[in-house]
Amino acid sequence: MDIQTQVEITLREGGYETWLYRGLPHPVIGFEDPTVVGFVHIFPSEEALVENWRASQLSVLNRHAAALRAAGTKSWNVYSVFLAPGVRTSRQAARIEEDFTMTRKIARASIRTSEDVVRALLPLMAVRSKPRLLDADFEGRMKARLKDVSPATLNALFSDASPDDVALMLGEGA
Amino acid sequence: MKLEFIEICGFRGFRNHVRIEFGAGFTVIAGRNGVGKSTVFDAVEFAITGGIAKYSVEKAAKESLSDYLWWRGDGVPEAHFVALSFVDDEGVRFRIRRTRESGSDTSEQQIVSMLCVGTAPELALTQLCRTSIIRDEWIAALSLDLTETERFDLVRSSLGGQEGLDFSSRAQRIASSVGEAHSRSEAEYSSSRLALSREVAALSEAMDVASRAGDVSSAMRLIAEVAGEGDGGQVDIEMARAALVSRRAQISDFARAMALVQEASDLKKKISSFDEMRRRAEAEAMLVAAIGAMSSAERALEEAKGRYLVEEKANVQASSLAVLIDHGASLGLHDGACPLCAAPRSEDEFEDGIELARERLRKASDEVALARENLKQADEANKAAHREYARADEQWNEINELSSRFRTKEQESVDLLIRLNLDPALSDKPDALEGQFQIARELIIQLERAILTLEASLAVSRISELQARVEIARSALDLAAERLSRSQGALSKAREIERQAKRINGEIVDERLAAISPLLNELYQRLRPHADWRTIEYSIRGDVRRFLSLKVGEGLNPQFVFSSGQRRAAGLAFLLSVYIARSWARWKTLLLDDPVQHIDDFRALNLVEVLGALRLEGRQIVCAVEDTALADLMCRRLLSNTEQQGRRYDLDLGPDGATVVASTSDISPAPMGLLRVASDSQLSA
Repeated sequence: MDIQTQVEITLREGGYETWLYRGLPHPVIGFEDPTVVGFVHIFPSEEALVENWRASQLSVLNRHAAALRAAGTKSWNVYSVFLAPGVRTSRQAARIEEDFTMTRKIARASIRTSEDVVRALLPLMAVRSKPRLLDADFEGRMKARLKDVSPATLNALFSDASPDDVALMLGEGA
Repeated sequence: MKLEFIEICGFRGFRNHVRIEFGAGFTVIAGRNGVGKSTVFDAVEFAITGGIAKYSVEKAAKESLSDYLWWRGDGVPEAHFVALSFVDDEGVRFRIRRTRESGSDTSEQQIVSMLCVGTAPELALTQLCRTSIIRDEWIAALSLDLTETERFDLVRSSLGGQEGLDFSSRAQRIASSVGEAHSRSEAEYSSSRLALSREVAALSEAMDVASRAGDVSSAMRLIAEVAGEGDGGQVDIEMARAALVSRRAQISDFARAMALVQEASDLKKKISSFDEMRRRAEAEAMLVAAIGAMSSAERALEEAKGRYLVEEKANVQASSLAVLIDHGASLGLHDGACPLCAAPRSEDEFEDGIELARERLRKASDEVALARENLKQADEANKAAHREYARADEQWNEINELSSRFRTKEQESVDLLIRLNLDPALSDKPDALEGQFQIARELIIQLERAILTLEASLAVSRISELQARVEIARSALDLAAERLSRSQGALSKAREIERQAKRINGEIVDERLAAISPLLNELYQRLRPHADWRTIEYSIRGDVRRFLSLKVGEGLNPQFVFSSGQRRAAGLAFLLSVYIARSWARWKTLLLDDPVQHIDDFRALNLVEVLGALRLEGRQIVCAVEDTALADLMCRRLLSNTEQQGRRYDLDLGPDGATVVASTSDISPAPMGLLRVASDSQLSA
């Protein structure tokens, strides 16, 4: 999986405008929506991420300092996302997120699949899960299961017939 | 449907009229503790439901929420009301106004119809507020701290009403109706069995009686002879029974007469016996002798009394003479003459004369003693003769009393025999009377047998009728058994309907919970309560009572392993998933009352990002916070655009202690495309 491509796909699906920033040796994807701006720094490994995230962030922010100053309140919503392929994110990498200086940070060194990318960028995305409550078809299920009850009684069961009338029909063996 | 504005006046801490226009995108309400932020949420809930659920159990000193709904501070508000306005995407407005004086101007049904869609759960408005308004104090209590059954119920109700739930109560009523019919069938069956048993017993008894049937014509003759005939010349069995009773009473008297006659006869025999006759003769002779001896003794006594009286009289005279003699002797001769008789006496003659007189007096005294002794002896002899007479008389009376008893018994016998229409002469013939008694007894036996014979013949005629009745009872039992069988079948089917309804309901809830599970997990991942446990799972168990448990890591209960802040973060994930999953809520606004207490900055940021994610879906968010920096962050981070603008209110207390709006600001949309332009220009440069 190409992390860079997957990042852009995910961000665009989330309503972000994305672009590739070419000022650094490793890929950096810029993104922006009406509220948020940010950069996704893609490192070749967790070690590279832990070692270089600070410098990489500083470099990108410096390059965009003027624009950020002009962005007004939006400049408070700058995200730095540091991604690297791997199996799991170490505590050292995870702790980067607790650094609140300059930007909001997301650091993941366990990117293997497109789902991992989506999960890493979740704080930037709309809620993904949309519970689909299927039609329960209660009546259909009941009718399918109550084979010993006659169709006439079943119909009465789901009609406006009074409980006493339905009880009478059951008693008559209908 | 979103909130448009709320007007509050004279409600809780709002004395003066305050109007808050909600931003279509979001509204951040900031203010320190006690300025009335929560009251805005209370007012929303009060407008919708007419109550405030968070105070429902809080009562103190006989006061409750209703005593504190309206302004109680200084001054008098110009009015007491809460007015809430909603607006939908098409600009259609819906308003609710509740006043202290007249309550709501909108019915509950109208509110439900405007704010809910599809099949709403029971207590829809309560559920709507409970799942839309997330209050700080309820975040843990309504999520992790709920019991597993309460949590299940909360989630189930948030998923909306179910057709099946209504049907379950219908199925219960049907089963109840069938159950009642079945109980009636059981009672009918039992009653039919009892009726058949009674008929069979009657038949069996009749057949038993019939088997004893003898010569009916002889029996009828005998009955006619003894008891007479009925009005129609027919033999009447009841008359026969009455005659039998009468005869039995008669024979009882007969037996008493026999006893009397026998007793009289025995007395007569005793009186006529040789010994008794000899004893009578002896007694009579003894009585006669006693009477003779008594007469002789009485005469001897009279004679002795006479003699004694004579001697006694003589003795009295002698006593007087003795006194005189003693006096004369003491005087002595007087002039040669006796002082008593004046006769001239010598001393000797006088002495001799005195002695002679005294001798005569002594002799007279002896005779008195003798007469007294004789009288005593005669008296004793007389008494002895009387005693002897009494003994003889007693013996004689005793013998006579036996005869008297005999006569009495004989008379009683005669009287009774006459009363029984029997020959009085039989009083002297106990054997003959015994013969008569045996004849009477024999007649009773024959009469009783005749009655039995007649009854048996009647029983024969009743057998066919009883057999028919047994057949009818059997048919009735068959019918009752068939009805019982049918009602059992109906009950079984009704219960199956009830069971299946419950089962399918459970399955539907399970399916729906499964459908929202990814949402819960996503929100949990976004809020990240715990660094290591990145996912949360739920499990449902129980058939009748359902339990919804939450697990993290290796099946751990977050309620017990999470810190206070982590529990609140996990609780928020749960409550937000419940809020989002509601398919029946037309009103989509999310209201959060200070949701970030006890949550660290990192997780507060996560929460703001989740709210930002909800904003991206176009949901309206109203959030109250105490921290102004957090309010600033929200205003920057939540999406505000020209269609769905954000707004911020800062509340404070006025000089009179009432809530006032200190400032209002609209959040302007941020500019777009700045960084890309910068990137491109930097690179091209």
